[in-house]
Amino acid sequence: MMKVLVTVKEVAEVEEDFVLDGTRIDDRFLEYDLNEWDDYAIETAVQLAEAGDDVEVVSATIGPERCEETIRMALAKGVDRGIRVWDDTLASVDLLDVNAKTEIFNAIIAEEEPDLILTGVQAHDDSFGATGVSVADAAGYEWAAVVNALDLDADAGVAHVRRELEGGVEELTDVELPAVLTIQTGINEPRYASLRGIRMAQRKEIAQQTLDDLGLDEGAVESQITLTDMYEPESESDVELFEGDADAAAASLASVLREKGVGAQ
Amino acid sequence: MDFELSPEHRMIRDTVQDFCEEEIKPIAQEVESEHRFPKEVFDQLGKLDMMGVPVSEEYGGLGGDQLMYALVTEELGRVSGGIGLSYAAHVSLGSKPIESFGTEEQKERWLTPLAQGDGMGAWALTEPGSGSDASDMDTTAVKDGDEWVLNGTKQFITNANVADSVLVKAVTDPNAGYDGISTFIIDPQNDDGFAVTTVWDKMGLNCSPTCEIALDDVRVPADRLLGEAGEGWTQTMKTLEGGRISIAALSTGLAQGAYEAAHQYAQEREQFGKPISKFDAIRDKLVDMYRKTERARLLTHNAAWRYDNGKPVTKASALAKLDASEASREVAEDAVQVLGGYGYTEDFAPQRFYRDAKLMEIGEGTSEIQHLIIGRQLGL
Ligand SMILES: Cc1cc2nc3c(=O)[nH]c(=O)nc-3n(C[C@H](O)[C@H](O)[C@H](O)COP(=O)(O)OP(=O)(O)OC[C@H]3O[C@@H](n4cnc5c(N)ncnc54)[C@H](O)[C@@H]3O)c2cc1C
Repeated sequence: MMKVLVTVKEVAEVEEDFVLDGTRIDDRFLEYDLNEWDDYAIETAVQLAEAGDDVEVVSATIGPERCEETIRMALAKGVDRGIRVWDDTLASVDLLDVNAKTEIFNAIIAEEEPDLILTGVQAHDDSFGATGVSVADAAGYEWAAVVNALDLDADAGVAHVRRELEGGVEELTDVELPAVLTIQTGINEPRYASLRGIRMAQRKEIAQQTLDDLGLDEGAVESQITLTDMYEPESESDVELFEGDADAAAASLASVLREKGVGAQ
Repeated sequence: MDFELSPEHRMIRDTVQDFCEEEIKPIAQEVESEHRFPKEVFDQLGKLDMMGVPVSEEYGGLGGDQLMYALVTEELGRVSGGIGLSYAAHVSLGSKPIESFGTEEQKERWLTPLAQGDGMGAWALTEPGSGSDASDMDTTAVKDGDEWVLNGTKQFITNANVADSVLVKAVTDPNAGYDGISTFIIDPQNDDGFAVTTVWDKMGLNCSPTCEIALDDVRVPADRLLGEAGEGWTQTMKTLEGGRISIAALSTGLAQGAYEAAHQYAQEREQFGKPISKFDAIRDKLVDMYRKTERARLLTHNAAWRYDNGKPVTKASALAKLDASEASREVAEDAVQVLGGYGYTEDFAPQRFYRDAKLMEIGEGTSEIQHLIIGRQLGL
């Protein structure tokens, strides 16, 4: 039997027009959805479960009751059960940093002992992009970050992965299980939940756990990072239209590209 | 009183909405212009368990309620009236009667493939000579030994040329009036004598095939009779009570799609130095479009709720259908107006909603007939 743990997060998306309130954005302007990367991680896990004989997929999230519907969508797609960590202490934390998340997931890993952990490369909202690897380090698991292709040999206990590096470079590498893989978008095509899946998901378990249940205390979520400011970055966009026939347009394009430094040695 | 959808209903609506936005919206105008029934879309709907939403799980359906079915139908209408119409005809008219009136064997043979998405359903009541006065039909079925022999012409039959089964109404006892009508399950692929004689070009809904069919000595075994002989008319009334809720839901979707297109455009389009939504005339139009859409949805959900709770639904479903179909036509017309010249082009969706909406005031009982039904219910 193999157990796959997928960490999932409900992220906030800001509407086009919004108002800042200190370091917060009012709830009125936020819409919540499953983190895009996590959708690919879920799909990866579900495909493993479909291909394997005896694979259990468990999702874990840190978040308030509101996010149960989002998490349930993962169950609708084929995740077997969910764990949701939340309590008053977590509710009172302004910014949950990577260390805090690592402590919490590490406690879950100690309990669940998964063979494979899949996380998104990053979360769409606070974009630390560090949780997966940090969790691997704390749990003493192998890891591979930014994975965009996976071929798992469960019997041999090896994941053959392709990683996306900077500048279009890719790396093929083998990772021994137990391992954490942070999943990049595009690794697969996430499915729509079937309506039967959604109906069945209503009856699947999402177990709520508190820090206390996990053997953690307030100290686990204290952070050295504080959110000091929130502002809208100024953005500038510029358009240049090339007129004339193909030759003239190509020449103008070439000179613009040269000016911008493209192709410079 | 609870106006909130359950989490399950909400998740289903949101998933269907995502699917419609991603997979149907981008091709909605194309299939319409090509007059093409998009089989591939219906295959996908089947994979997502959408083809038998209110059909019991025992026969391959989802086992959802009428409200769930209305939510799904509305989402389809929001992006494509034609796909929505073929869908609603498949479920309400082509599938549900088999579940309600069929034998165990008939359900297994004919309903299960429809509910699982392995085939399309259709329902043939209307004839060239009988529309609103549907019971005055000329199609006959005559018993010959163990078989029935059907003859006649049916008109405006949705999905007939892509269907795996067609439920055909025919007179089996010419002297019995309403009690002389029966329903037969016809297999258009395999029954000799069945022919699609016309696929109509229409004002809208052209990705949903509307067919004339000819039945020329179509011979079927006794087990193709749905329910008992003579029950065809009462079956029709029950079928339409549910069907009208889905037409109301489809209309609500058309209105919603048209409203959203206009709402967005009005904030982006600038004239006289400001977004046109800042002009009272346009703002008021949008508010009225919103009001009508909300009203249509509330009446639709009310009818679905009554249906699900086993309450009388004749009046509520006729009222929802009457109101939502009018709302969709009015809202779509206003959406064209809000978009000005662009609204009149095929590059923008409102003209399509406008064309599609018009049928909603005609199919499954015209608005005049809905007035008649409601009037009767009000003791008038
Ligand atoms: C796109 C499309 C899809 C369709 N799909 C199907 C299908 O799948 N299966 C099926 O069986 N049928 C289908 N129909 C047929 C549809 O249900 C009929 O067109 C409709 O019931 C009206 O009948 P009719 O066209 O004969 O009009 P008529 O009945 O001839 O009506 C003409 C006009 O007279 C009015 N009128 C008639 N009687 C009265 C009265 N007593 N009081 C006041 N006004 C009256 C009507 O309201 C209408 O305005 C479809 C039609 C279309 C256009």
